[in-house]
Amino acid sequence: MRFLMTTKPSDTAADENLYTEMAAFVEELTASGVLLATGGLEPGGLRLTSAGGEITVTDGPFTEAREVVAGFALVEVRSREEALEVARRFRRIVGDGESVVQQVFGP
Amino acid sequence: MPVTDAHRTVDAVWKLESARIVAGLTRMVHDVGAAEELAQDALVAALEQWPEKGVPDNPGAWLMAIAKRRAVDRIRRSRNLERKHELIAHGMERGTGPEPEPDGDDVLRLLFVTCHPVLATAERVALTLRLVAGLTTEEIARAFLTGEARIAQRVAAAKRTLAEQGVGFELPSGAELSERLSSVLGVVYLVFNEGYTATSGEGLTRPGLCLEALRLGRTLAELVPDEAEAHGLVALMELQQARAGARTGPSGELLRLDEQNRGRWDPLLIRRGFAAMLRARDAGGPPGPYTLQAAIAVCHAGAATAEDTDWERIAVLYDLLAERLPTPVVLLNRAVAVGRARGPAEGLALVDVLADDPALRDYHLLPGVRGDLLLLLGREGEAGREFLRAAALAGNAVERAFLLGRAETVAGPRPEGPTLGSLSRDFLGRPDLDAATVRSYGQTLGRLCRSLGEDLPAADLDAGAVARVFAAAWGEAAPRTWNRHRSAVRSFGAWAGLEGLDTGLGRRAEARTGAPPLDPAQLALLWDGEGRALRERVLWRLLHESGAGVGAVLALNVEDLDLEDRRARSGGSWVHWRSGTARLLPRLVAGRERGPLFLADRRPGPARRPAEADLCPVTGRGRLSYPRAEYLFKQAGRELDPAGEGYTLRRLKG
Repeated sequence: MRFLMTTKPSDTAADENLYTEMAAFVEELTASGVLLATGGLEPGGLRLTSAGGEITVTDGPFTEAREVVAGFALVEVRSREEALEVARRFRRIVGDGESVVQQVFGP
Repeated sequence: MPVTDAHRTVDAVWKLESARIVAGLTRMVHDVGAAEELAQDALVAALEQWPEKGVPDNPGAWLMAIAKRRAVDRIRRSRNLERKHELIAHGMERGTGPEPEPDGDDVLRLLFVTCHPVLATAERVALTLRLVAGLTTEEIARAFLTGEARIAQRVAAAKRTLAEQGVGFELPSGAELSERLSSVLGVVYLVFNEGYTATSGEGLTRPGLCLEALRLGRTLAELVPDEAEAHGLVALMELQQARAGARTGPSGELLRLDEQNRGRWDPLLIRRGFAAMLRARDAGGPPGPYTLQAAIAVCHAGAATAEDTDWERIAVLYDLLAERLPTPVVLLNRAVAVGRARGPAEGLALVDVLADDPALRDYHLLPGVRGDLLLLLGREGEAGREFLRAAALAGNAVERAFLLGRAETVAGPRPEGPTLGSLSRDFLGRPDLDAATVRSYGQTLGRLCRSLGEDLPAADLDAGAVARVFAAAWGEAAPRTWNRHRSAVRSFGAWAGLEGLDTGLGRRAEARTGAPPLDPAQLALLWDGEGRALRERVLWRLLHESGAGVGAVLALNVEDLDLEDRRARSGGSWVHWRSGTARLLPRLVAGRERGPLFLADRRPGPARRPAEADLCPVTGRGRLSYPRAEYLFKQAGRELDPAGEGYTLRRLKG
């Protein structure tokens, strides 16, 4: 089962400690074959809207920045509970904020 | 937190952490069995405490801390120190002060232990999934479509063997390292393959097993980064798994590599496979079997369409692989590649060499491949027959349907006149054959049908083909078996008017010696095994000490026993025993005055009431039957028998 964990931007500034812990966490999950891909995302980006065959492209940043995704991790686990446990450990490292875990169907 | 949620959380944490926890504990107590028990204790504690207090911040460390505390408790409690416990205590004292945190090397050591060559392959698989992947015996049993008891038995047997052989927790080095590593790689790939093409059942794959194998492989590759083959294996599995979603069509039917929609191959896994391949290359050395197989998978993954496949390169890789790993399956795949690269006739020549290999006797892919090559050569009738034969041999419903479909599309004109299959059915259906003969002949003819195809026209059936089937199927069998099948063929040939069908089959001299008796160490394990019932212990010892026939011993009655002189009358002769039986007999007799000595477990049903002489006047239970006694002994012997089949009671004769 694959799950995508997305994380929203947070106000707390990352310190040296967080980077070290996070690096160790990513390394461990990669080594155990759980973490398939991960990355941080630029704030803003491009927004595409299609309406009536017309496609509009808008440049960020956008006002509802809270809803934007700041980072993602694609994990392969045995169960929803395992995905949750991995996400729990992630949240413990990064501190206050919000993540969403969703099962990925396919390919 | 509700208890069920806590249960699932504990389970998830356990699966993520079990390898490190069990490995760390094994380093402390030097025994995987004890380490696992301690870890289980910690799990129980978690189930008790987490629902109330919530999941701790670092659940893995919490479990480890509890387990370590239990380890210390256990040693303190057991004051009657056996040597083993002394060792444990000793190890603990040396380790006092800050206990070093479990590290990756511990997990590697654990893998080397659970995949140790002293264990049978099935035991290695079960123990690795249990201790390293953290699966329950029930989950392993479900994955392998077998009983939970059997898996539990394998795990127990493995732990016992490891303890008995004193397998250490050190990292092997030098030549031993490569042997031990290849055993680990073998276990991982076996798990993967069982998941990738299930050898039985309805579904084509068991994705859970593939995932476990991928995880184990990825973990291993990180632990031994300089071992090219570990990366090679990971590359191979990632690339194969990348195709998993594209292997079946809309209605679940199997698609060949060249029919698959390559757009459905998982690009993420392909990229991971390529990356692992690069690491294998960077590790250096001549490419080993896994790296070569991965290189072949890379050729497929790199081809945008089936037509772009570089078969010439694949054939060369298979030539190399066949030198390093000349297994029948590799040789068969090589024949496929050669057929593509250098023409079907060359491929077919290679397949025909393999057809006589006993290992490939029931391997459905062999006739499948042969069918493909025959088709390319325009020999449709033969090709169709091969596909039918392949379908009959396939153990997996999806593959069977695929092969039947192939047979249907190429089916040329149905052969006129009788076929091997129709003749066999007619022959076995004769009214003058009794049931036992039908069963015996049926085995012989069934084998011929499976190996030569039911649709083989009777006219094409020749002695040479029969002789080849015999050599592959029963070449190694006991002379009696060989002769039994031989006479079945003679009888069939005479009936069908196919004289001389048995010309290639010589009669074999039958030796009169049976299997050798069991050795004393095995016997001791049998009767002193845990949980053995008194009845079995007496019966087995009595058989061993008396050397009497099983029937005669089961026929003994309480009133026949002469406990003083250690003998009893059975029929016209005496059965004598020695001290081992003598010690136990009074307990089995337990004040009874007459009736069968060995009683069945239950009272017989009203419809199956045996003769009065076979009933116990006190309990109303019947006499223990020969088949039941034989079954119980087989079950008990299964753990000891390297072949896993158990022994017959006759082997007890001293």
